[in-house]
Amino acid sequence: MSERKFVILCVDDEPVSLLVRSRVLEKAGHEVITASSGSDALKTLRSTPVDLVLTDLLMPTMTGIELTRNIKKEHPSLPVVMFSGVNELPQEEFHADLFLSKLEGPQILCEKIAEVLHRSEYARNHP
Amino acid sequence: MMSMNPIGGRWKSPMEPAKSNGSEDTNDRVNILLVDDQPAKLLSYEAILGDLDANLIKASSGTEALEHLLKHDIAVVLADVSMPGIDGFQLADMIREHPRFQKTAILFISAIHLSDIDRIKGYQRGAVDYLSVPIVPEVLRAKVGVFAELHRSRRALEALNRNLEQRVTDRTEELRERADLLDLASEAIMVRDMNGVVLFWNSGAETLYGWTREDVIGQDLHTILSTRFPVPVSDIESSLLKTGRWEGNLVQFTRDGREVTVACRKALRNERAGAPGVILEISRDMTERLRAEDALRNAEKLAAMGRVAGIIAHEINNPLEAILNIFHLLRGHVALNEEAADYTRLAEQELLRVVHIVKHTLSFYRESQQPVAVSITEVLDNILELQSRTLHLQGISIERRFLTDATIQGFPGELRQVFMNLIVNATHAMPDGGRLRITVRRRVDPKTHLRGMAVSVCDTGTGIKREHIRQLFEPFFSTKSAKGTGLGLWVSKGIVQKYDGAIECRSISYRDGNATCFRVVFPRHISMRQIHSDAAYSAQES
Repeated sequence: MSERKFVILCVDDEPVSLLVRSRVLEKAGHEVITASSGSDALKTLRSTPVDLVLTDLLMPTMTGIELTRNIKKEHPSLPVVMFSGVNELPQEEFHADLFLSKLEGPQILCEKIAEVLHRSEYARNHP
Repeated sequence: MMSMNPIGGRWKSPMEPAKSNGSEDTNDRVNILLVDDQPAKLLSYEAILGDLDANLIKASSGTEALEHLLKHDIAVVLADVSMPGIDGFQLADMIREHPRFQKTAILFISAIHLSDIDRIKGYQRGAVDYLSVPIVPEVLRAKVGVFAELHRSRRALEALNRNLEQRVTDRTEELRERADLLDLASEAIMVRDMNGVVLFWNSGAETLYGWTREDVIGQDLHTILSTRFPVPVSDIESSLLKTGRWEGNLVQFTRDGREVTVACRKALRNERAGAPGVILEISRDMTERLRAEDALRNAEKLAAMGRVAGIIAHEINNPLEAILNIFHLLRGHVALNEEAADYTRLAEQELLRVVHIVKHTLSFYRESQQPVAVSITEVLDNILELQSRTLHLQGISIERRFLTDATIQGFPGELRQVFMNLIVNATHAMPDGGRLRITVRRRVDPKTHLRGMAVSVCDTGTGIKREHIRQLFEPFFSTKSAKGTGLGLWVSKGIVQKYDGAIECRSISYRDGNATCFRVVFPRHISMRQIHSDAAYSAQES
C-alpha cells in the first residue's frame, strides 16, 4: 500500500526552482504537479486530488502563509510543507505541517516529505 | 549662710538704672564697680575716678554689687569694708566662690585694723589690695588704674587667643575640606616636580592606578605608570613652558598591568616665592568609555553587515537550492561518462562548502517557532558528550563548574551552536592537550540588576594575541588559517546579541602558558520553579 505513488503539488514562482525541485521529487518516486502561484494552486486543488502541498514562503501575489491558510480552510487534513530561503521563521502564525530551509538539500527534503506523507496516511487509515 | 539664691530672684526686677549699659561693656572701657552704703562716698569715688577711661558702676549694698557682677564684666571692685548687711569681706567671699570672678581685682577701703590685714591675706589668691582712710585721691586713682589696666590687657590677650584659636580651627577645616575635595575627585590628581618625582597623589590616583601614596611619593611618575605619550615628550614640555598647559590622551599601566587610556590635563606652576616649580596632572580614566564607543561602533558595523547578509542570503538561497537539486539529479545520471561524473562530484562537494558557509552564517533559522526553556548546563553536557572522544584523544581534561541550573528562554539549536563553537575552538587551541574549564554561574547585572547567568569556556591552549582579540568577532577573521571559516564567533555573537547578551574574550599569557577565556553573559534567566509554574499555566490554558 505504501508503494503507491503520492501526488505532490509543488508551488513556486521561480520556474527553474520549480522545475528542478519537481524532478528531484519525481526521482524520489512521487508524482508531481506544479503551480506558479497561490491562486493557481488553489484552482488545481479543486479539480485534482493531491496528497501533499510543497509551497515556497515568499511569492509575489499570495504568500505561502496565505496559501496555507486557504488550503486548510478547504482541505483541513491535507498536509502542507512550507519551504523558505529566508533566515528566520515568519513571525505571524502559519499552519503548515512542516517548515524547511531550502539549504537543507534534496536528500533531507525528500526524507522529511516522506515522513509527513506517511504520518498523514497513517492518520487517514486510523481515524 | 549666704547663698546666691535670695538675690537671684531680684536680677530681673527693674533696678535703679545702672550707670553703664551692655553696649559700653563690649568696648575697650573697663567697668569698675563701686560699693558703698553711703551715697556721698560713692559720689566722691566717682569724682576721683572720673578721669580714668572706665565705666563706673555704683552699688549701695553687697547684694546689689553681686547683681552687677553677674551682669557685667567687672575689672575692679572697690568695696567699703563696713556696710550693713553683707559687709566688704563677705562680699569678697561670695565673689571668690564663683569661678568666673576668681581673678577679679578687689580693692577694700577701710579704717584698717591689724585683724583686717590678716583677713585680707586670706584672699591672696586673686588680686586684692586695700586702701586705708582717709583716701588719697591720687593713690586710689593709681591703684584702680593699675587693676583696670591689668584687666584690660588680660581681656585683650584672651580675645587674641580666642581669635587665634578660631583662625587655626577655620584654617584646619579649610585644609581638610580641600583635601576631602581632592580625594572626592574620581580623577587622579597628581603633583610632580620638574624632574618628574611625585609629590602628591590623591585617592583617585590610588583607585585608578592601584598604587598607594606610599608607593609612589618620591618615585618617577611616568616610569611607574609606563606612560606612552601620543607626541614626543619634548613637545609636551615646550607646550607647558610656553602656555603653562597641555591636554591629551595618555596610555598608562596600572599596578596589576592593566592598560588604561586617560585624558590628561597638565598645568605648570612656576617657581615663585622660593617654592620650586611643579607640574599638576589630572587624569580621567577613559578606558571604559573608549571601549564602549568601540563596541558600539562594532555593533553598528555588525548590525549593518547582518542586514546585508540577510538580503544576500535570501537572494542566494533560491538559486543555491536549484543548483543543489540539479547536482542531485546529475548524480548517477546515465549520460555522464566517468570523467564528467568525477567533475560533477567535485563541483557538488565544493557547492556543499558554500552551502555550509551560507547556512551557518547568513541563514540560520530557528528550528521552532516558540522559544522554550533551555537548560544551558544540559546543552553543555550534551556538547561535551559529543566531543568527549576528541577531547580524550587530545589529552584534554574537562572541569565542569556548574554553579546554577537556571534556564533561559530561547532556542536550543542556536544556543548549542554558540557553545559548540566555543568548545570546538578551545579544542583546536589545545592540540597537545590541556585543560578545558566550563563555568556556569548566576550573575546580577550591576547596572540593570537583572538576574542572569554567565557561562565561561576557558582553555590553556595557544592563547590569542592582544591585537587579534578585537577582530575575533568580525566575519571572516580566523586565527586557524585554512582550517576556519572565520564565521563561527561572528555568528555566535549575533546569536548571543539576540538574547540581549554579550560575548567577550580575555587571553593572558604567563610564564607557564596561556589562559583564554570566552565569557557569554545572558542578562535574563528564569528559575526552575518559574518554568514549572509556566508549564502549569500553559497546561491550564490549553
